[in-house]
Amino acid sequence: MTADLTMIMVALVVLTLSAVFSFKFRALGLIGAIIALLIGLTTCPFHFGIFIFVIAVINLLSLCALDGGIKGVDYGLVGLMGLATMYIFTTNDFAMVLAALVLVSAPTYVLVMLRDGRANVEVGVKYITFMVLATVLFLVGAIILVYTASAFNEYLYVLGYVMLVLGLCLEIGVAPFHEWVPDVFASADPIPISIIASLAKIVPFVAALWILVTTANDMTASLSLFTAVLAAISMFVGNIGALTSKEHARVLGYSTVANMGYLLTCLVVVANPEYLYLALTGGLFLLFSNAAGKIGFFNAIKEKGAYSLLMFILAFSFIGIPPLMGFWGKLFILLSLAEMEYFWLIGIVVINSAISIPYYIRLANELGVSWELNLTNIICAAAVIIIMVTVLFVPVEWFSTHMAAMAHTVGIAL
Amino acid sequence: MNDWVFFLLLFLAPVVSSIPIVLAYKDDKWTAKLPYLSVFGIFISVLMSLHIFFAMSGQYSYDWIPDLGINFVFMCDYLSRYMGVVTAVIAFFIAIYGLGYMKGDYRPSWYWFCFNLFTASMLLVVYSDNLFLLFVGWEGLGAASWGLIGHWFRDDDNISYVGKAGRKVGPLEMSWAPSFGGWRAISTIRFGDVPMFLAIAAIWVLSPTLNISEINWHTLFISLGAAGTIILMLLFLTGLFTKSAQFPFSEWLMTAMTGPTTVSALLHSATMVAAGAFVFLKLTWYIEPWHLHDVPGVEPVYLLVLFVGLISGLYGALCGTGMRERKVLLAASTMSSIGLMFAVGATSYWIHEEIAGMNWALLAAFWYMAIHAFAKASLFLVSGHLIHATHSRFLCGNFEFAKRMKPAFIVTILASIFLVGIPPFGAYWVKSMMDELKLHLWHHNGMILPIVLLITISLVYAAVIAKFLSLNFIKGDKPEHEHVEGGGLMKLGYGLMVSVLFVLTYGIFKFEETQHFVHAGSENLSIIVGLSILVVFVAAIYKPQIKAFSSNIGMFFNDRMYLPFLNDYIVPKTGFFIAHLVQDYGNRAIDAFFNTTVIPGFFKAISRAIRAIQTGFLTTYVKIAIGFVLLILILASIGGMGL
Repeated sequence: MTADLTMIMVALVVLTLSAVFSFKFRALGLIGAIIALLIGLTTCPFHFGIFIFVIAVINLLSLCALDGGIKGVDYGLVGLMGLATMYIFTTNDFAMVLAALVLVSAPTYVLVMLRDGRANVEVGVKYITFMVLATVLFLVGAIILVYTASAFNEYLYVLGYVMLVLGLCLEIGVAPFHEWVPDVFASADPIPISIIASLAKIVPFVAALWILVTTANDMTASLSLFTAVLAAISMFVGNIGALTSKEHARVLGYSTVANMGYLLTCLVVVANPEYLYLALTGGLFLLFSNAAGKIGFFNAIKEKGAYSLLMFILAFSFIGIPPLMGFWGKLFILLSLAEMEYFWLIGIVVINSAISIPYYIRLANELGVSWELNLTNIICAAAVIIIMVTVLFVPVEWFSTHMAAMAHTVGIAL
Repeated sequence: MNDWVFFLLLFLAPVVSSIPIVLAYKDDKWTAKLPYLSVFGIFISVLMSLHIFFAMSGQYSYDWIPDLGINFVFMCDYLSRYMGVVTAVIAFFIAIYGLGYMKGDYRPSWYWFCFNLFTASMLLVVYSDNLFLLFVGWEGLGAASWGLIGHWFRDDDNISYVGKAGRKVGPLEMSWAPSFGGWRAISTIRFGDVPMFLAIAAIWVLSPTLNISEINWHTLFISLGAAGTIILMLLFLTGLFTKSAQFPFSEWLMTAMTGPTTVSALLHSATMVAAGAFVFLKLTWYIEPWHLHDVPGVEPVYLLVLFVGLISGLYGALCGTGMRERKVLLAASTMSSIGLMFAVGATSYWIHEEIAGMNWALLAAFWYMAIHAFAKASLFLVSGHLIHATHSRFLCGNFEFAKRMKPAFIVTILASIFLVGIPPFGAYWVKSMMDELKLHLWHHNGMILPIVLLITISLVYAAVIAKFLSLNFIKGDKPEHEHVEGGGLMKLGYGLMVSVLFVLTYGIFKFEETQHFVHAGSENLSIIVGLSILVVFVAAIYKPQIKAFSSNIGMFFNDRMYLPFLNDYIVPKTGFFIAHLVQDYGNRAIDAFFNTTVIPGFFKAISRAIRAIQTGFLTTYVKIAIGFVLLILILASIGGMGL
């Protein structure tokens, strides 16, 4: 057992104990989750670990605004998701990657039903049905892919690749498998949705990328067209859906569909690991900015508005205005696409970014209110700090160098 | 002193010296005094041009954008040294006259800045060897001419109009306001400038240098082939023909008479219209077409210039016979003269004779340009004075009036006889040379038309100028108003101007390169033509208005053979037709694509489809999702098995 795994174990014990004792003292659940995440942070490369840590902590804090039936344990569930997300960056073990995927997925089944008072079963059923299908497809696809890596079979490889990508699409809500997204986003409580739309998206993406890269072969390049087409469909469906929706949560649901489309384009790069670091950097930036933006917007929906300036900065990040994080995410993804010579896809990404401008501005305009010191504004401010980190603290080049190093690590695992 | 200082002063002194009056535009006290500074700026240019004339020769090059071959390159050759002095001196004399003529004008700042910019631009055109630099001056001419022709932009004084208000021919009113005159000038010129710029760009691409004197024209034309050469030269010539108001681009010149008379004088003598002909001579000087008989495509180009020039010459002279306005009559005669310069310059293709390394035809064309410049400027300045004195822009004035306007009368007589080719004054010797050149075309190249046209034009031209003299001073109607006193600066201006003609005539006898003019003037044909011109001139003075000419044919000529229809009817109608096409179909199609039908429809359809899926029933969602999953898996299986 490695030292990292030991630390994770310790963190899990802390998490479990605090969850148990939170029945008696609710605050213990929150404190325990934060301590467990701090322990987990020591196992993870700091530069992206800190992003996961901050996102998880903001998610935890936002849960304070919700009085669900399992108050206290919900902190433990988010803590678990945070730990699994951190762990996936350190492990080289296929089984552990899949375990992390399930560990991130399962708590959301419970979280999605949370709301003030009774559990929201209808939303839960819709969500869980899709997630089960997604997880099964993902796991079967992943196992087939790993099998073909040792005993190559073209037919099986195609099947495995398609199943894995389909599983991923269902999991994160890529069109045309997005049907649950607008409904769940619109009818569930904004707080758990902010978690599902932020923290829960990181692991499936990294896991899929990890598995696809480690099992890549000569056929991957031709199969990536399939992924690219799905990504293009998702971008259009998501953006046009968001553009023509009125309900804020529904707009954000479609925005997620669109963002997952951008994210999916990263997968075309697996055919050439040389440019993986570009796609990884872009993908993670996009995930982090999407997570921070969704947290901010959903919390604003929950409390009927947040400080205007913060809302606009989040909107600008989503649109991709430099030097906010959303811009760097899209830029690196486009760079990786350029290296892969997927120019038509670049065109579609750019057109879609343009389509998205009106509804993000509208969202910021409608959700923006004047300044007031409350939890929502603090959370939104924290989210803004995350997406402005590329302006304030972290030089982008520094980040991408580390991504290159990490991609190198993944390359060795291959 | 370094040579660049001379060029800097030459080009910048007029512009810089007129900046103060621009800055003081609100202060009437200053704007009344500062014109003297502007005139002084032009005087500096005169000194510089004289220095260059006497002390400098050859090429002077200063870096600008050397990587692109665009540099400040000035050529002080025979043409530019003479033309520079001609331009600067004429501008200076007109400026002195303008001090009196423009007194009390409502926007002196605008006038003096544009006037000096006009002069500086022309000097740049004259001395530039680099085609790009030349084009900078060329555009400066265009911009300044627009500003000057439309100087009286308020259109509030009928005396600045051209044509008779209210007189209609078909749908057109034969009357043009100053603002419209400015617009007609700039729009016509732009029509030619763009092709000219394309031609310069083409030369820039094809030739290693843009310097006129260094371009290897022979290689360039050979590499272009016959069609390429013709296209390139036509593009370039469009710029020259529009600027020089050659047929059918002449309309702007007639309505350019809406500008102050000083502007007309400058425009017609040493700048603007002369610029086109001058650049043609300058290019031909270095193209040396008489050595390019083996190059296909050059001959048709020179043939075209020859006949465009002759047709313009005839057209201008004939229109002049019908004109009733002082300045428009002179404008038509200028067009005629410029046409002759083009025609004679183009003759160089067939002429091999050289004097001191200079082609006869080019020399004749250039000397005609110089004599014409001073004579025409004098006539314009006189007519400006007449307009002030009589408050009328139409031809009027009898012998009584002439007695009271003695200086103007004498200057007009002198300028006329020096200009039309009456022996032994000025232009007679140059025109004799022209006769000889055209005779050469008949004898050696079988073209009889040029000599016939040249003599016809000369005779009609003499009648037109005689008409100007007669109807203004001898046989015209008695003016309704007479304000003959004052105008000292104006008299000084045209007095100085006309006196230069004596110097030039002296030069013709004195200089080595013009000796052949004197020789040509003593040929029988020349003497016959010269005497015929004298007869026509005297006859026209005696009977300036023939009955037939004051009726239908006269009106036809007065209406410039209805050429205004081209500018004011055919071209705008065509333009509006295209605009309507664009508006009605192009814009609507673009609108339909972006704003009303295609893209919005696409969005609507997709949006509807996206919303149709969202029924809220889980069973529907699962059916859709599983349906897609199964479909893709089946397709993948089929595809995978095919591998």
